[in-house]
Amino acid sequence: MVTFTIDGRELTVPAGTTILQAAHAHDIRIPHYCYHPGLSIAGNCRICLVDVEKFPKPAIACNTFVSEGMVVHTQEESEKARDWQRAMMEFLLINHPLDCPICDQAGECKLQDYSYKLGAPTTRFVEEKEHGPKRRELGPHVVFDWERCIKCTRCIRFCDEVSGTSELDMFLRGVHEEIGVFPGRPLDNPYSGNVVDICPVGALTLRESRFAPRVYFLSDVPSTCGACARGCSVNLGTYRNEIVRINPRENQAVNRWWMCDEGRLQAARLARTGARRLSGPRGGREGAADPWRAATAAAADALAGAARAGRVRVLASSRASVEECYLLAKLAAGPLRGAPLHLPAHERGEDDALLIRKDRTPNRVGAEAVFDALNVPARPAEELERTLVSGNLSALLAIGPGMLGPIDDEPPVVSPDSLASLETLVVLDAFPSVLSEAAHVLLPTTTFAESAGTWVNFAGRVQATARALTPNEECRPAVMLLSDLLERLTGEPAPGREAIQERLSEEVPAFAGIAWAELPASSGQQLAGSDEQAAACAPTGAALKMLDAGWEKVPDSPRGKPPWVW
Amino acid sequence: MEKILTRNVGVKGSHTLDVYRAGGGYRALKKALEMEPDAVTDAVKASGLRGRGGAGFPTGVKWSFMPKQPDPARESYLVCNADESEPGTFKDRLIMEVEPHALIEGCLIAAYAIRASTVFIYIRGEYVRPSRILEGAVREAYQAGLIGKNVLGTSFSCEMIVHRGAGAYICGEESALMDSLEGGRGNPRNKPPFPAQYGVFGHPTTVNNVETIAYVPWIIDRGPEWFASIGTNERNTGPKLYCMSGHIRNPGVYEAPTGVELWDLIDNYAGGMARPGRKLKACIPGGSSVPVLTAAQCEGLVMDFDSVAAAGSMIGSSGVMIMDESTDMVLVAERTAHFYAHESCGQCTPCREGTGWLEKIIRRIRMGQGRMEDLELLESVAGNMMGTSICALSDAAAMPVLGFIEKFRNEFVHYIEHRRSIVASG
Repeated sequence: MVTFTIDGRELTVPAGTTILQAAHAHDIRIPHYCYHPGLSIAGNCRICLVDVEKFPKPAIACNTFVSEGMVVHTQEESEKARDWQRAMMEFLLINHPLDCPICDQAGECKLQDYSYKLGAPTTRFVEEKEHGPKRRELGPHVVFDWERCIKCTRCIRFCDEVSGTSELDMFLRGVHEEIGVFPGRPLDNPYSGNVVDICPVGALTLRESRFAPRVYFLSDVPSTCGACARGCSVNLGTYRNEIVRINPRENQAVNRWWMCDEGRLQAARLARTGARRLSGPRGGREGAADPWRAATAAAADALAGAARAGRVRVLASSRASVEECYLLAKLAAGPLRGAPLHLPAHERGEDDALLIRKDRTPNRVGAEAVFDALNVPARPAEELERTLVSGNLSALLAIGPGMLGPIDDEPPVVSPDSLASLETLVVLDAFPSVLSEAAHVLLPTTTFAESAGTWVNFAGRVQATARALTPNEECRPAVMLLSDLLERLTGEPAPGREAIQERLSEEVPAFAGIAWAELPASSGQQLAGSDEQAAACAPTGAALKMLDAGWEKVPDSPRGKPPWVW
Repeated sequence: MEKILTRNVGVKGSHTLDVYRAGGGYRALKKALEMEPDAVTDAVKASGLRGRGGAGFPTGVKWSFMPKQPDPARESYLVCNADESEPGTFKDRLIMEVEPHALIEGCLIAAYAIRASTVFIYIRGEYVRPSRILEGAVREAYQAGLIGKNVLGTSFSCEMIVHRGAGAYICGEESALMDSLEGGRGNPRNKPPFPAQYGVFGHPTTVNNVETIAYVPWIIDRGPEWFASIGTNERNTGPKLYCMSGHIRNPGVYEAPTGVELWDLIDNYAGGMARPGRKLKACIPGGSSVPVLTAAQCEGLVMDFDSVAAAGSMIGSSGVMIMDESTDMVLVAERTAHFYAHESCGQCTPCREGTGWLEKIIRRIRMGQGRMEDLELLESVAGNMMGTSICALSDAAAMPVLGFIEKFRNEFVHYIEHRRSIVASG
């Protein structure tokens, strides 16, 4: 441990901590552009210059390690440091186009933020600014604006160190320097969107959310991504009841600062395919005053009848929340008289070294934990297919698989032909699938962005999704629909979401001790007894491993530039 | 003074091993290999040899930063900086063309002293002829058993690699040089870590200038006392190469004792001013990145590290540029500023933006669009560039501009007021 003084405060931090890290850990803000906690230290933006006593020159806070007895003065109390930082702001802005009125970054731009603190109201620069390309496509999703770029190299370091793909590099020299890609190798990796997030200015924009509503009009709703079993923490940026963009939310246990493009582009997929949502209940009595009630009644009657003959099964989904799974399990074990429950797999590709999991569902671990604890162990979907073909089934209650978004590119859970033998197919889903097309009773559900729920990721992390959008009247949360069904079949009042969560903690050992109310907007909580699993499943990737190991243990970095550890 | 590195200028075949050996070459290497490595370092320390690349850091002290027992997985390296790109400097070219074996012998002795396994000679990309001669000499030395396994039959082994740069001024900065040597883009690195801790390929590294290394064999052969006996005092020792250019009769490289007087160099070495009758106006004593000196400051100026520093400039790489009274100093300032704007690597903010800004302001003044407040602006911008960047290029760009404005403010003012040069156009 090292004790040093910063702005008159005496701090004790571990040896090998930089001034910037120590300051940020104790709520002393030092401006920075090129520094990012998830990347190596570049020290090139020079905005974090601070005044260190006995140092002959200004010191950059991001690459100066604190030492015993060091005395640091930041811009808050040192006029010198403030002047240096002001000078750097001036340098950064002389060739900057100042096109904030048309810039997507305006509102969350670090140049703007620091300008308020350090910028001059007028400019001393009367020459012609340097000009360059305003719209260069680096890859399918990322567009580059040369004039706005401050050459902090965060994006280059991301591609070198996190995605490990090294598409980006710096070209040319001096003020003409530019970020670019090599011929025939566009910025096309599964994580390319992250460079847009970490760009401190508006130089890199995501093609899918450029020229969208200003960021200061967006509401960022903390939630969880459902594109795969990782369950990255995200913010859903919404405007007028639409998701404009999805950004990663820092969660060291799950996704650090990153997310994959597939998860990020769900926003665009949901927006583009909104018209194809399943809409309005189907299958109830014609002309009923309340079509929802009528459809639920029809479903309940048919399922009860089939259950009496032992010819009913349940097709669950690991895209459903644990609350929905609880109700499904209660239905299967109770009024459906121990109907077998099937859980299809939705796998694609392989697990990669960073975040993406081949299991494309967010709640497999949670669903299995609930079904096992409530004595309706999940069976594979292939078995259901065989039973359907044999004609021994008259009714099927299915949830999913299109609850999170369109699933056009996924193979069907069961073949459409095998469904023909069913007398009653009750389907709860949000987007069309073979099941919803063959459904006799269809109960459209909300998506993950329209109702709150809880998922458990592949490593046992319990995380909440939030209601970011207000659903229209043509769909209802699956928890509500399943509760209605349970009530109608048992004649007893079914529990609401909070009550289900309480019961999960009591009835499912893995959920014991989960603080349900604290899950939203948090980094989640491990299932009881899953800590070991969590540690083994922390996001890796070659460079991340290197960062964890500590640079001093890595003799040669590929670029020969590790930050030094004293 | 006896000529050392320039003794073979004009001698046919001076770059060959035979001629070099006939003059006593590689005697020092044999002698050094019989000494302890630290004794070699101590001898260099005792000689007072200071880095001839620009900063003037004591060479022996630099060597002593290297690990005494190198980790076998992280062998020590010696890098010879032959990326001589400072405007007005051309002494290393002469050494590599005329006395390449002196450099090779010096490298081997230095490598022995710092326990380095490999020597990299990073040579400027534009130096095609010197690099061919040097490569030939290295090949010759390999064949003679002077480089490679068991040098001269001893247990000391050393490899030597000549690496040609791709033509960037910034690669003369030692950490940018190391990046370039590694195959990357030549960008200076943040310090710490210093090269002796984390240098090229992550190995402990010493970087020395060509001239510095080329004098080492003589220090070992004749003893540090001989070297220290030449020069003004114990901090400014040895013979030194001066690159004379500008308005003088015989531009070229001249070897003189450290501490020769500037006017001695002009009159007795370089044949006097180019055009008799024209007075000296200014002198840049150490390559383009040091502040200019006025004629008055040049009176009696002693050309050693400390005296030039006391006069408000730096001996730098001893690229002495002489300017007579026909020189338009604003034009010189503009040309200098353009050079640094062109050569800034662009990595860090003050240099990338500041060098271009300086050039644009000075050009505007020279084009007749200057404003009086531009002079304060230039001083302020240059001041903001000093000490705030990763490497010294930002300082190197700012220092001469500050020097020109301070010493020749009247010429800038004349441009601003009359929209033309103070010097009658001829």
